[in-house]
Amino acid sequence: MMKKELKVIGKSTKKLDGKARVSGQAVYGHDIELPNMLHGSILRTKYPCAEIISIDTSKAEVFEGVECVITANDIDVNNISYKRDHPILKKGTVNCNRDEIAAVAARNKEIADKAIQLIEVKYKVKDGIYDPFEALKDDAPRVNEFGKGAEKFGNKNIAESFHYEHGDLEGQKAKSKVIIKKSYELPRVTHACMATSNITADFNQLDGRLTLWSSTQVPFLYQRDIAHALKMAPSLIRVIQPIIGGGFGSKLDMHPFEPICALLSIKSGKPVQILFSREEEFILSPTRQPMVIELTTGADENGKFTFREVEIIKDNGAYTSWGATTPFVMMQTYSSLYQVPACKFDSHAIYTNNPFAGSFRGYGNPQATFSIETNIDLMAEELGMDKGEIRLINANYKGEITGQGLIYKTCGAIPALETVIRKSGFDQIVNEPKTGRYLRGIGLGSMLHVGGGAKIYRSDGCGTILKLDDYGYLTIVTGSNEIGQGSETVLAMIAIEELGIPMDKIKVINTDTDVKPWDVGVHASRTSFVAGNSLLGAIKLLKEKLNSKASELLDIETENWDYMDGKMYFGEFEINLDKVAREIHFGPPHELCTVSYFYEPPSSFQDKEYKGDVSGNYAFASQAIEVEVDTVTGNINVLSVHVSQDVGRVLNPIGLQGQMEGGVATGAGYALTEEMIYEKGMLKNPSFHGYKLLTTTDMPPVHFYPIETYDEAGPYGSKGAGEAPLIPTAAAIANAVSNALGVRFYSLPITAEKVLKALSEKKNELKLERVYFKMSVET
Amino acid sequence: MDFDVINVTTTDELCSAIAGNLNNNFRIGAGYTDLILELKQARVQDLTIINIAQLEDPSFNSIIEKGDHIILGALVTASDLVDNKKIKEEYPVLYESALSVASTQIRNSATVGGNICNASPAADMSAALVALQAICNILDSDGRERNEPLVSFIKGVRKTSLVKNEILKSISIPKNSSSHIKSGFEKVGTRKSMEISIVSLSYHIQCSSEGTIEKAGVSCGAVATTIPFASSACNFLIGKNIDAISEIERIGFAKKVLEYAIPISDIRASAWYRKEVLFNISKSIFES
Repeated sequence: MMKKELKVIGKSTKKLDGKARVSGQAVYGHDIELPNMLHGSILRTKYPCAEIISIDTSKAEVFEGVECVITANDIDVNNISYKRDHPILKKGTVNCNRDEIAAVAARNKEIADKAIQLIEVKYKVKDGIYDPFEALKDDAPRVNEFGKGAEKFGNKNIAESFHYEHGDLEGQKAKSKVIIKKSYELPRVTHACMATSNITADFNQLDGRLTLWSSTQVPFLYQRDIAHALKMAPSLIRVIQPIIGGGFGSKLDMHPFEPICALLSIKSGKPVQILFSREEEFILSPTRQPMVIELTTGADENGKFTFREVEIIKDNGAYTSWGATTPFVMMQTYSSLYQVPACKFDSHAIYTNNPFAGSFRGYGNPQATFSIETNIDLMAEELGMDKGEIRLINANYKGEITGQGLIYKTCGAIPALETVIRKSGFDQIVNEPKTGRYLRGIGLGSMLHVGGGAKIYRSDGCGTILKLDDYGYLTIVTGSNEIGQGSETVLAMIAIEELGIPMDKIKVINTDTDVKPWDVGVHASRTSFVAGNSLLGAIKLLKEKLNSKASELLDIETENWDYMDGKMYFGEFEINLDKVAREIHFGPPHELCTVSYFYEPPSSFQDKEYKGDVSGNYAFASQAIEVEVDTVTGNINVLSVHVSQDVGRVLNPIGLQGQMEGGVATGAGYALTEEMIYEKGMLKNPSFHGYKLLTTTDMPPVHFYPIETYDEAGPYGSKGAGEAPLIPTAAAIANAVSNALGVRFYSLPITAEKVLKALSEKKNELKLERVYFKMSVET
Repeated sequence: MDFDVINVTTTDELCSAIAGNLNNNFRIGAGYTDLILELKQARVQDLTIINIAQLEDPSFNSIIEKGDHIILGALVTASDLVDNKKIKEEYPVLYESALSVASTQIRNSATVGGNICNASPAADMSAALVALQAICNILDSDGRERNEPLVSFIKGVRKTSLVKNEILKSISIPKNSSSHIKSGFEKVGTRKSMEISIVSLSYHIQCSSEGTIEKAGVSCGAVATTIPFASSACNFLIGKNIDAISEIERIGFAKKVLEYAIPISDIRASAWYRKEVLFNISKSIFES
């Protein structure tokens, strides 16, 4: 694809919702107030693992201001979650610290919170099981009574398993000069969205319709999930998305508080709102998958990779969310990040009495990438090879069809690697002597991620309706939604580019399932790609209408009109866009300038062996990160981050830079400081005091070098870019720390304490070596 | 959170508010950066807050010099300390400790008196003031005053020597006897801001013009139930030349500091780390 000169695309454009967000005008779910609205509160279990002997709600029911109380006995619902193994309200047993036992709707939040305290629950406390390896033992109790592990996977506590392989594993092992086998441990971290979870439900008893103001990322899947949970027809449910204060994958699953809020509204006949406190947000919102990865990799004498063999045990927690499907992404990384002749992949998600994990930006990829990139460094060290060179000779390339069947029609992996190596001064820093209190090091990490959606549902498409009114204003009704990633701004930019309508005459409508056409939702870095293509398809239809009317009005024969500044041009002819729209409306054919289009990406479903070209295109990136380790405190300071990413084509530079910085911030926290600390299933640090999300003062400069490969599948040649910037960050930081200290870390986060411990062990080893040396000299 | 508020603007009003509530459950509030968090978690019933944020008495809210002391009113904020030229130049330990508190917004509200009376062993400004051998000036509701060294005023985690009718009015720090000082605050934490010390080391050392150490104050934060003044480490330094402290002496000093550390393991760090890092930073302050 050739680079076409563009007027708006590629120029920094401020977010459409930016002013509303920074001025406080933006209406979040927390700001919604409806007439007669009640406030809900949920009673959760005291213990992560127990039998419920009895629930007595009588005192709460008569408490002044309480309008309704529900328990599992009052509701007729289906289980929720990806495996339908999660009861909305629990009876019989509780399995993790989040478990919902009863809910109250009351005149205000204070009354609801007090009423919850009046509900008496008698428990028979059980020990519980908090280690997935323990849960796999034969004598372990069965954690989830709805789990189908025994029948499907040969162990009652396996929630989900995946097996994948390609190539001649044994043959490739025989070819290997070096084989590295390491075990990695990844922590549980959370999204830390600035807006806490919220929902407002309004059930209309007259027509049986339910309206939900929800911060879901996937409104149409959510509509279907809520309908299934409540045994309602999906079309009776209207999902409206107020402004969302952070998603990052946390709002992909529907969680029990959402149908609970709907049930309270159905029972009380009034609107009900549930808002989480920050502490609840930490305890109750989903997390990234904690896991243990055992990775074996090989390379031949020239450093060419031979094989990867990986076994993963994931802590699924008590119920199974979308997060259990992260192996879809992980197996892609193990099989296809760099050239991999043979790969064998097994992963098991194990039920425990820990809270269940969900989906999180990167979707398993940061974990996989951390293990792969560490193993690559170790192989390079053993082979005596340069760490840049080993990556370059194995890098993915244009035209490659990977063992899994991904087709790289365009590929910026090599230029991305070369760019960060050059710009960061990698060769110099990696080899410099390490002395003094502060030790500097540099590390590399690369990543592969879907760039053109991901076909994991029967449709990965998006619909668009365009309405050009009599005054030349354009309304874009898109199925996609905005969760802060900037996609609605990109859509408006595309409309300006194509139709020459100024920004102040463009409206983007994307928040109401009763109005907007279908879309699968915000995930897999897909929105600008899929919604952008959908919009381009709709614009093409609109232009056909306008072109033919303009030609008719000016009595010329052409279909090649240019659109600029609210006008249409052909040679010396010009006509106002709004005039053409009016003539279509008020003159024959008496139509409105309204079109509708649905785009389905050209990707295919994977086969039963998980092979197939699952995305419209693929994104590649490399990061080189420079760190400084303080050997006195063990603290690691990230000095600078160099990111080079194949984004196909830059659509909005300022928006893209924001994605890069945000991704790096999350990736650096994952590498260095963030960890949810649990003791027997209970969270010990549910606050920003105890949970060390990095702040702006910890942020290094992020130098971004986009690689433009102009992939024909994407709008203007672009690829999805949202998740990528955090994926290789932890890997690159870990490699940098190792370069600085000469010590490897196989678990995240690399805390100051781990660093000091490693340094003190190293010191002791050196002392021992000296003693042995002395002894051998003496003898 | 559910509580009554009494606003006072004069010291007389303050004294009568305290005297009038001696039989009630009351707390004093000024910057509220600790108190609000505590009340959110505690769910206390029938609580009264005596709000002194608008108190207009200079002895509570200004920094003045009096004789051989500098007096900090209890309502002086961390930002006031950061912005004060004299504090920055003559008491770097206090300046750096104030600057290390949380964030600009919190420093604008957080008061020295609150930092002391909250009696957290991890309190940064308190730790610096212990090293400076500060004296607490305490007022009771009858208008009587008493003085007590800060190091004994803090009795344990969230415990001070204040009795119910007393309030901390100000803190006095002795003026430097020399202009040749080595003074600083070392904070160990995970983040560069919005952080509670995992360990801190405060030091304020005064030397003769030739560099001989004449006076030394050293304290360590977040390693015990109080903020200990490391007197044996201070004594160890007296008479040595500040510019010629050997590696062995640095280790000796660090070992002395470590004698005061009886840390716990918690979610922020293990006891092992706290000791290891206290030793390391103690040793490092004399490294060039």
